[in-house]
Amino acid sequence: MKTSYFNGKQFILIAVLQLLINSCDSFVEVDLPKSQLNNVSVFEDYATANAALTDVYSKIRDKGMLTGIDTGLSNELGNYTDEIIPFGTPSNSSFNFYNTNLLADNPEITEYWNATYNQIYALNAVIEGLEASTILSEKNKTQLLGEALFVRGLLHFYLVNIFGDIPYIKITDYNKNKIVSRLPTALVYQNIVSDLESSISLLPYNYSSSERIRPSKNVANAFLSRVYLYMKSYVEASNSASSIINQSELFELEQNTDKVFLLNSKETIWQLQSSEPGQNTLEAITFIFESGPPLMLALNTNLVQSFSTTDLRKSSWIKTISDGTSTWYHAYKYKEQNFTSVSKEYSIILRLAEQYLIRAEARAHQGDLIGAKEDLNTIRRRAGLEDSSATTQLEILDAILQERRWELFTEHGHRFFDLKRFNKIDSVISAIKPGWNTNDALLPIPQNEISTNPNLRPQNPGY
Amino acid sequence: MNNFSFYKDGKALYCLILSGILLSFSSSFARNSVQQFKSTFQQHQIQGTISDGSDPMPGVTISIKSKTNSSTISDYNGQYKLSTFPNDTLVISYIGFKTLIVPINGRQIVDVKLIYDTTALQEVRINAGYYSVKESERTGNIARITSKDIETQPVTNVLATMQGRMAGVNIIQNTGVPGGGFDIKIRGQNSIRAEGNAPLYLIDGVPYASETIGYNQTATIYPTTTSPLNSINPDSIESIEVLKDADATAIYGSRGANGVVLITTKKGKAGKTTFRVNASTGTGTVGKFMKLMDTSQYLAMRNQAFQNDGIPFNSWDYDVNGTWDQNRYTNWQKELIGGTSSISDLQASISGGSERTQFLISSSYHTESTVFPGDFIYKKGGSQINLNHRSEDNKFNLTFSAGYNLQNNDQPAFDFTFDSRSLPPNAPKLYTSQGDLNWENGTWDNPLRNLNAKFESSTNDLVANSVLSYELISGLTIKGSFGYTSLNTTETRTAPSSLFNPIYNITSANSSLYLNNTGRSSWTIEPQINWEKQIGLGKLEILFGSTFQSQTTSRLFQIGTGYSSNSLIYNLGSANYIKVLFNDETLYKYQAFFGRINYNFNQRYIINLTGRRDGSSRFGSGNQFANFAAIGAAWLISNENFIKNSSWLSFAKIRSSYGTTGNDQIGDYQFLNTYSNTSGKYDGTIGLEPTRLYNANFGWETSKKLEVALELGFFKDRLFTTASWYQNRSSNQLVGVPLPGTTGFTVLQSNLDATIQNRGLELTLRANNFSRENFTWSTNLNLTFARNKLLSFPGLESSTYNQQYRIGQPLNIEILYQYKGINPQTGIYEFEDINKDGKITFPEDRQKTADLTPKYYGGIQNQLRYKRWNLDFLFQFVKQKNHIYPMGFAGQMSNQPKVKMDSWQVPTDIAEYQIYTTGYNSDVVTAEYLYNRSDASITDASYIRLKNISLSYQLPLNLNAIQCKITLQSQNTLTFTKYKDGDPEFTSAGYLPPLRVITAGVQLTF
Repeated sequence: MKTSYFNGKQFILIAVLQLLINSCDSFVEVDLPKSQLNNVSVFEDYATANAALTDVYSKIRDKGMLTGIDTGLSNELGNYTDEIIPFGTPSNSSFNFYNTNLLADNPEITEYWNATYNQIYALNAVIEGLEASTILSEKNKTQLLGEALFVRGLLHFYLVNIFGDIPYIKITDYNKNKIVSRLPTALVYQNIVSDLESSISLLPYNYSSSERIRPSKNVANAFLSRVYLYMKSYVEASNSASSIINQSELFELEQNTDKVFLLNSKETIWQLQSSEPGQNTLEAITFIFESGPPLMLALNTNLVQSFSTTDLRKSSWIKTISDGTSTWYHAYKYKEQNFTSVSKEYSIILRLAEQYLIRAEARAHQGDLIGAKEDLNTIRRRAGLEDSSATTQLEILDAILQERRWELFTEHGHRFFDLKRFNKIDSVISAIKPGWNTNDALLPIPQNEISTNPNLRPQNPGY
Repeated sequence: MNNFSFYKDGKALYCLILSGILLSFSSSFARNSVQQFKSTFQQHQIQGTISDGSDPMPGVTISIKSKTNSSTISDYNGQYKLSTFPNDTLVISYIGFKTLIVPINGRQIVDVKLIYDTTALQEVRINAGYYSVKESERTGNIARITSKDIETQPVTNVLATMQGRMAGVNIIQNTGVPGGGFDIKIRGQNSIRAEGNAPLYLIDGVPYASETIGYNQTATIYPTTTSPLNSINPDSIESIEVLKDADATAIYGSRGANGVVLITTKKGKAGKTTFRVNASTGTGTVGKFMKLMDTSQYLAMRNQAFQNDGIPFNSWDYDVNGTWDQNRYTNWQKELIGGTSSISDLQASISGGSERTQFLISSSYHTESTVFPGDFIYKKGGSQINLNHRSEDNKFNLTFSAGYNLQNNDQPAFDFTFDSRSLPPNAPKLYTSQGDLNWENGTWDNPLRNLNAKFESSTNDLVANSVLSYELISGLTIKGSFGYTSLNTTETRTAPSSLFNPIYNITSANSSLYLNNTGRSSWTIEPQINWEKQIGLGKLEILFGSTFQSQTTSRLFQIGTGYSSNSLIYNLGSANYIKVLFNDETLYKYQAFFGRINYNFNQRYIINLTGRRDGSSRFGSGNQFANFAAIGAAWLISNENFIKNSSWLSFAKIRSSYGTTGNDQIGDYQFLNTYSNTSGKYDGTIGLEPTRLYNANFGWETSKKLEVALELGFFKDRLFTTASWYQNRSSNQLVGVPLPGTTGFTVLQSNLDATIQNRGLELTLRANNFSRENFTWSTNLNLTFARNKLLSFPGLESSTYNQQYRIGQPLNIEILYQYKGINPQTGIYEFEDINKDGKITFPEDRQKTADLTPKYYGGIQNQLRYKRWNLDFLFQFVKQKNHIYPMGFAGQMSNQPKVKMDSWQVPTDIAEYQIYTTGYNSDVVTAEYLYNRSDASITDASYIRLKNISLSYQLPLNLNAIQCKITLQSQNTLTFTKYKDGDPEFTSAGYLPPLRVITAGVQLTF
C-alpha cells in the first residue's frame, strides 16, 4: 500500500520542487533601486561628484542656520537681539527667541544642529569619496575638495558661535561620531583656520561658474578674514581683508544702495543661487509684508530709530508700512519676493562691505586709528553719511559696532555675534529685555544630543 | 449560541462544513464505492423539510452516506429534493447542530428535525493559513470573528471590525476622519521600532502589504500617512482569523512575529440563487468635547496674565486690547468639529450554484460626509467575485476570488480639532456679512482658510487569487496558489494662495499642489503538497510547500508651484514650476519553504510541528536566510475514557506550543551604501545626497514564543472557557537606533542586542445563557492582561536609548520629571530636584517612569433573540493611562480648559494650576514645559465604551421567497471615562476622535 503513494509521478514532482528550491537562492538578490547610486560610482564621474557637493549648497540655502526662511538665523537671532519683533499667534516660533525663552528641545535649535551636521556629513562623504576616487581628474578633485573644506569650516564657524564648544567632525564614521566630545572653542577655531587654509590652497582663483555662486580662493580668503577677526588675530584679519579689497577689478562697493543686493552686484563675494530660474530670495518672502499689521515679524523700532534720518540705508533697505494709525517696518534689502522672468537677487553670504568693517576693526585694535577710520568712513560715505567723529580707539570701536548694526542687520545673525565679541550682549540686551541673562549668550545643545551622547554633557549653563 | 442567526448568516459556513465532511469521509468513500454500486437498483426521488422544531432551516446539507456525488442543500423554506436509492442512508448536517444519520427505508418524504448541539462548534474548521484545523484539535492560538460579528457594525475599516472582540488584540483608532488609520498590536509591542509591529495580512492566502502608501505632504489631515488597509471591504469578509502563538505563526516564519491576520472572503453557496440587498443610512458625530473656557473666563485669564507679568497690552494682543469684540463668544468645537456627517451604505449580492460549482458576486457602495464645516465626502465602492468548482471525480478543486475596491476621498487638508480647542473664544466671526472669509483686518488667521486647502485621494485596489488542487491518489493532494495584488493611489493636497491672510498679498503665483502617485503590485506563487494517512488509531498529516513573492512599489512625489489662477491648481501642467520631490521604484523579493507534520493519535494526543526557511531581499548577502520552527501539542482530556461520560464536563483540552518567528519589517535596501536624488537644485545640477548611514550587517529580528492554554466546556459546551498564558521574547532587535545629530543622521538601522518580553493572560468565555424556541441569549467575554518588559539591553546606559527605556520596564513608558506641587510663594510649578543641585536639570532630575501600556482590555458581547427581534451589543473596556491634552501655558492668546480657572493668583493660594503668564515670565513657561513632561501630565484614560449595538427585526411577511429585515446599528454609542480632555482613544493628540455613528438599514433577501 505504502509504496503506491510514491510512484513515478510523485518522484518527478518532488524532484522538480527540489530543483526549484536549489535554483532559487539568488531569487532574493535585488538590483539597486532606480533612484539610488552606489556611493563609489558617484565619485567616478564629475557630474555626479559635483551633484553630491552642490546638494550641500541647496541644503544650506533651504534649511538650517543660513536659510532665508523664518527659522533661519537671520530672523531668529534678529528676534533674539534687537533687530526684529514677532507677531501672530504663539505658534510663531520666533516668540521663544524674542522672549529669550529657549528650551533644550526647541525645534529650530535642534534643526540648526541636525541639519548642519547632516551637511557636514555630506561634505565629509564628498571629501572621502574624492580622496578614494582614482578616476576623477586632479583638477576636478582639487576644486571640489577645496569647496568642501571651505564649507566645512564655514558651518563649524556658525555652530561654535551659537553653541560654544562643539565637536569638529571631519569623518563619516558614525561609530566615532556618535561618541564625540565637545572641543574647546579655541581648538574649533584652529580647525576652521586649517580647513580654510587648505581650501585656499586648492580652490581656483576664478569663480568656476558665471555667477558668484561657487566658492573660489577669494571667497575662502574673505571668510578667513572674518574668522581671524573673531579670533582676535588682527594682523591676519586685516591682511586677508586687504587681499580682497585690493582686487578692485573684481570687487567694488556698489555706490547705489538700492543695487547692493542685486544678483550682479560687484560687492558680492559669495551668494547662494535660487532653486529655480526666476525665483528670488527666501529672505524677501520672510521679511516683506505689504500691509499691516504684520502676521509674523517686523523690524524692531529700536533698530529703525537708531538710523540717522539721512542714512541712505534706512531709505533703501527699510520699508515703512502704515495702516493710517500704526506704522511698521520691514527689512527691504532684498526687494523681490515673487518669481520674475529671470532671477534678480540671490541670498548673499559674503559681501565686500563687511571686509571694510573687518579691516577697520582689526586696524583699530592694532592702533592704526587712521586706517580704521578710513575704512569706516568708506562705508559711511556710501550710505550718504558724513565721516565719523570718533577719535579714540574706544570711540572708533564703538562706532564700528554701531556701523555694523546698520550695515549688516538681518544678515545671518551678525548683530548677535558682534555684541558677544564686544562683550556688550548683556548690557545691550538686558536693557531692552528684562528676561535676558548672561547664560543666554549660548543657545542650548539640543536635548536629543544630550540624551544620546553622554560625552556632550554637560548642557550649556542655564538650560 | 444564538441558533436563529445561523439561518441568515451561517450560510457562509456551508462550504467549511461541507469540505470538512468531505475531507473526513473521503478515504472511506473511496474504499467503499465499488461495493455500493453493486447493490444499486432503481432510482428513487425523495423530498422533505428540515426544521429545528419550530422554523424551517435553509442551507442544511443533505448527503447520502458513502456517495460523494449526491448531496443537496435545503432552500429558504427548509425544503430539499434528492435522487436516492430506497435503501440509502441520509447524512444531514448543519453547523451548530448534531449531524443526523437517517435511513430512508423506502420513504419518499423524509422530514427531519435537527437538534441544536453546542458541542458542534468544536467541529468548525478554523483557517490556519496553509491548512485548516478542527477547532477541537487545534494546537495553536487562533482568534476568530465571522461575518456575523462584522455585519452588526457600521464601520468601513477591517481593523475596526475587530476592536474589542479578540483577546490579545489591541486596536486604537487614530482619527475619526474617514480614510484614517488604526494602530494594531497583537500581544503587545515586540519591536523597539514603532513601525515594526504590524502583523502580516493575508487575503485569501495572498500577502497584503500594510506599509503606507501615503506621503506626509499630501495626507496632512491624518496623524499617520495613508494605510492601504482601507481598501479592504468589511462587507466582503466571511471571517478573520488572527494567529498568535508560535504554533500558528511559525509557518509564516520571518513575517509571523507580530501575528498573522487571515482574511477570508465570502464564498458562493450551492442551492437556489439568492439575491440580497442591504441599504442603510445614518449619521456620525463627535461624542465628546473638551470643556473649555468661555469668553468671560478666557478674558479674565488673559487680563490676569498681563497683570501678573506687569506689562501693558501689546499692539498684537487683539483679544484683550479692544481690537476684537470682547463680548463675542463662539464655541469653536461646535463650530469646527461639531457637525454631523451623513453616512449611507448599499450592498447587493447574488450567490448560488450547483453542488460542484458555486459563485458569488457582490458589490457595495458607501459614502460618508464630514463633521467639519464644508462639503467633504468619502466614497468607497467595490465588487467581489468568487467561484468554486469541483470536478466530477472530486479530485480537482478550483477556487477563484477577486476583489476590486475603489476609494475616493475628499477632505480638508488639515484637521480642525487643534484650532477648535485653541482659538480664543472671542475670536472674530468666520464670515463677513457678504459671505466672504472674515480676516478682521488681518488680525487673525481665520480657521476656515483651511477649507481652501484640500486633500483628495483616489485609490483602486485589486486582490485576486486562484487555488488549484488535485488529489493524485487518496490522501495525497498537490495544490497551487497564485495570487496577484495591484494598488494604485493618487493623492493631492492643494496649498492655494487663498490659504493665506490677504495682508500678505500672496497671489496664485505662490499656490502649490502636492501630488503623490504610489503604485504597488505583487505576485505570489505557492506550490504545496499535502498528504494524510490514517495509521492505526492515529492520523498523520504532512504538508510541504514553498512561496515566491515579488513586490514592486513605485512612488512619485511632486510639487507644482505658481499658477496663473487658483482654478487651475489641479493641473500640474499649468504650474510655473514642477519639482519632483521623490521618485523611486523598489523591489522586495521573498522566498520560503515551509512544512508541517501533524500527528493525531486517537483524537486524544496531537502533536504539530511546523517550520519555515525564509529568504528576504531586505537583507545583505549572508544575512538573507534564516530558519524558524515551532512545536505544538494538545491533549484532549475529555476524550479519555475516565472522563468521557462526565455529566458536566463536556470538553477539556490542554495545549502548549513553543517556537520561533521573525520580523523583516525594516524597509527595502537599507543595507546599501548609496546616494539618492534630491529635489535640491544648484548651479544647474539636481543634487545627490547620501541616502543613509549604512550598515551592511543587519539581520532578522527573532521572537521566541511560548504558550500554555486550557480549554474547558461545561454542560454540553453551553459554557465554554479558554485561558491562555503566553510569553514572547523578541531579541536581536532590528532598529533605527537613534544617533546624535553629530553623525549626520539621527538613526542607523542595525540589530540591537536587546530582548523584549511580552507576557499575558488571555481569557475567553462563551455562555449560552438561555436557549429556547422563542428566546435565546448568549454572552461572549474576552479579557487580556498584558505586560511588556524590556528584559535586557546590554549597554543601555551608554546607548542612545538611555533616556527612553529602562530595563525591567515596559517599552511604552514615559520618563518624567516628578511633580511636587505649586510653590505657594511664586505660584509656579515645582519638581523634585533628585540630584539636589538646586535646579531642575535633564537628565538627572527626569527619572520617574509611567507606563502607558494598557493594563488590561477586552470586551463583553451579548446576543439576544426574542422571536423575530435580535439584539447584539458589545462593551469594550481598556484600563490605561495616557497624556493630558497639552494646551501650553495658560495666559497666552490661546484658549484653555475650564479647569485652569483654578490657577494661583496671590501668595498662599491653593490652586491646581500655576500662575498665568502671557509668555513674558520665562520661569512659568519653563515650568509648564516641565509640567507637560512630568508625572502630572499622565492621567487615567481608562474607559468603558458601548462600542457597538445592533437591533434587528425580521418582518413577518409570510412570503416564502422574500425575507426582510430592519436594522438599527450604532458604533461608539456611549463612553464612560474619567479622562477630561476629550476622547480617551488616541495615539497622537489634536486629531478628530472616533465618531459616534448611528445607522438604520433594511435587508432584503429573495
